[in-house]
Amino acid sequence: MQKVLGDFIYALRQAGLPISSAETLDALKAAQLVGIDNAPLLKQSLGMTLSKRLEHRLIHDQIFDQYFNGYGHLQEEGGKPLSQEAYEKAENAESEAVNSEAASEQAAASTSSSVENPNTSLIPEAAANLSSPLAQQLMAGDMSALQVMITGAGAGAGAQEVTFSTQIPIVTYRVMQAMGDSELQQELQELAKEDENSALVQLLRQRRSQLQQQIRDYVEQQYLLFNQGESQKLRESNLQKIRLTSVDHSNYKRMGELVRKAAKRLASMHSRRRRITKRGMLDVRRTVSANAAFDGFLFHTKWKSTRIERPKVMVICDVSGSVSSVARFLLLFLYCLQDVLPKVRSFVFSAEMAEVTELFAKKEMDEALAEILHRWANSPTHYGKALADFEQLALADIDNKTTVIMLGDARNNGSDGNIAVWEEVYRRSQRVLWLNPEGQTSWDTGDSIMSQYAPYCSLMETCNSLRDLNRILGSELKRSG
Amino acid sequence: MIIRNKDKISSPDTIKEHFEALGYICSDAIATSVYLACHLQKPILVEGPPGVGKTELAKKTSELLAAPLIRMQCYEGLDEAKALYEWKYGKQLLYTQLLKDQLGDVMRGAKGLDESVTRLHQFGDIFYSDEFLEPRPLLEALRAEDGAILLIDEIDKADQEFEAFLLELLSDYQISIPELGTIKAKSNPIVFLTSNNTRELSDALKRRCLHLYIPFPSKTIEQKIISAQVPELNEQLKQQLVSFISELREMALKKVPAVSETIDWARALLLLNVDNLDHDWIKTTLNLLLKFQDDIEAVEPEIDNLLKAANKQR
Repeated sequence: MQKVLGDFIYALRQAGLPISSAETLDALKAAQLVGIDNAPLLKQSLGMTLSKRLEHRLIHDQIFDQYFNGYGHLQEEGGKPLSQEAYEKAENAESEAVNSEAASEQAAASTSSSVENPNTSLIPEAAANLSSPLAQQLMAGDMSALQVMITGAGAGAGAQEVTFSTQIPIVTYRVMQAMGDSELQQELQELAKEDENSALVQLLRQRRSQLQQQIRDYVEQQYLLFNQGESQKLRESNLQKIRLTSVDHSNYKRMGELVRKAAKRLASMHSRRRRITKRGMLDVRRTVSANAAFDGFLFHTKWKSTRIERPKVMVICDVSGSVSSVARFLLLFLYCLQDVLPKVRSFVFSAEMAEVTELFAKKEMDEALAEILHRWANSPTHYGKALADFEQLALADIDNKTTVIMLGDARNNGSDGNIAVWEEVYRRSQRVLWLNPEGQTSWDTGDSIMSQYAPYCSLMETCNSLRDLNRILGSELKRSG
Repeated sequence: MIIRNKDKISSPDTIKEHFEALGYICSDAIATSVYLACHLQKPILVEGPPGVGKTELAKKTSELLAAPLIRMQCYEGLDEAKALYEWKYGKQLLYTQLLKDQLGDVMRGAKGLDESVTRLHQFGDIFYSDEFLEPRPLLEALRAEDGAILLIDEIDKADQEFEAFLLELLSDYQISIPELGTIKAKSNPIVFLTSNNTRELSDALKRRCLHLYIPFPSKTIEQKIISAQVPELNEQLKQQLVSFISELREMALKKVPAVSETIDWARALLLLNVDNLDHDWIKTTLNLLLKFQDDIEAVEPEIDNLLKAANKQR
């Protein structure tokens, strides 16, 4: 039972559920308490101990159905082999309880083999002479014993380590071999030489292909249970590293989710910090209580807290032609950020700059991004003009608690960069981040004027993957708290 | 915990039956969670939309087990002085004033500062003893001789620090008070934590609890609830009402009507002597179900459609 539950929990972890060992112990205790014969009760009990979130609960329920249908022979764990009728009954009961397709399929398979039993009685002497163990097993038609054999052989052949669906056939073959398929094949060939055995040979062949199908189902199920999550994880971590420019359209959606995940992480970090921020007032109750021992003299004063001003953030995003491939993602992150942080002002520009804080706040994400890209994108960059606009729009609001973040490549098409404005911005805020989607080696090549802005930035970083963005903003948040 | 009515919690089904006898209609999941909590001695974290009977579950459990219910409402800024214990400062001050003369007597004849302090030490920490301790809900629950039901209501409203503070209580049923040492539960209480999910609770807290999510009840269960709460209502109206509510829950509203609102509505309809739901009645009583003007405005033009769909469903 421990092994069964252990495997089940492993499968859950593969599916992304964070299950601690303490919870595993709880689940074991709960399973002991409720017993394992009542499937719905067991499902609820395990669900309560193992999954602590609604979405995890749904995944749990799904995997429970998948998993325990494969362990239809759970009751035989004690090592007491059941007769085929009993097995069928258990199987049927199980399929009723779990109501899953595969279980009924298996039950159907075992029923069909019992229907064939009359045929078998015609050739008992021949069957008795079979030498290979697998053939004997097949003739005995003991499905539960076969299932146990498959499970054993499957573990040996590495059915739980299948990482790609393409490996399923070869593992199926290996399991067949481990169960003694080659001997069976040999015997079949020998038997086929004599005509009188044809009925037996046919039956055996039929049983063998049934078995093959059963093994294949088993391997596939193991793959689904244990390893599908793995490849998804691999894909997500790869995606984090991929440069924003080379992400293809099919991955857009997934990327959006990652951005939201990152933003959420930042949010929870930030909100924790915010709670520490309190007001500076004398806490009378705590002061009196702390000083009661001193005869009421106020030795220790207790303060409600100290005031910490929360930083304002201004983000300027270049959406011009040269960065068009990453603009969408920078904007996406900007949108999420504004959702998440309380005081973010967002600006976009290519030649003219505009504040889009309102737009982000009012419209849905897709709509807002589309409108921005439509209205401001795809015209040649002019940092000088944009910064002049910024001076008009927001320079007066920048103080020493403001963080200014620029997302852009500093490619200015050869015109004047209006460095003075940027210098003023830096002088006022002292915290200016420049995130450049280009690698450091291509800064100052061609029309890039990165080095002109460089003296007036407290931090310049290459930022062209989600991981960069996440790291930079994370560390900045920590400092600004 | 010393459980008085052991027979009532012998299996999830018996729990369900006894709850029903008390007028609390519950699903299998709820009964199972109470069963596990009693037998595994684990706290239950109850989540779900407002008004589905999370708090009621704790109340009914205390009724079922004939154990006292100790309730602690959480809010932002709740700290251990309000949740666990506080010293009776007034009393401490008063006593120091009253005992001033006594202290003079005690100290009389003491030679030097050292001896005075030694004499003082002989009296121990009288001002930090049990007599000056004001127990708050958590301490009360730990000190209950025969165990208690502890309801920590709306834990999501409390600060994160408070959540961390609860961890010791939830896993070991003990709590450390600097002046008194560790206080262990005389008999483990059964703890219910409820949450409306206004913020994500920490994994450490979740790990220590059984997790129960109570969704809006299915139509059959809701009908049963109405029968239990408003038995006078006629069968047809009851079905109509439950179907209408379930249709309403499908709509995108700011706040969908919960079970408690269904019950209120049923009571109101009974009072108004309505025997068949129609457009006008719904329109006049809609403010019982919906608590936002926006929602009411959104639903009003849809009443006929909803009613039609509800009638079809039956």
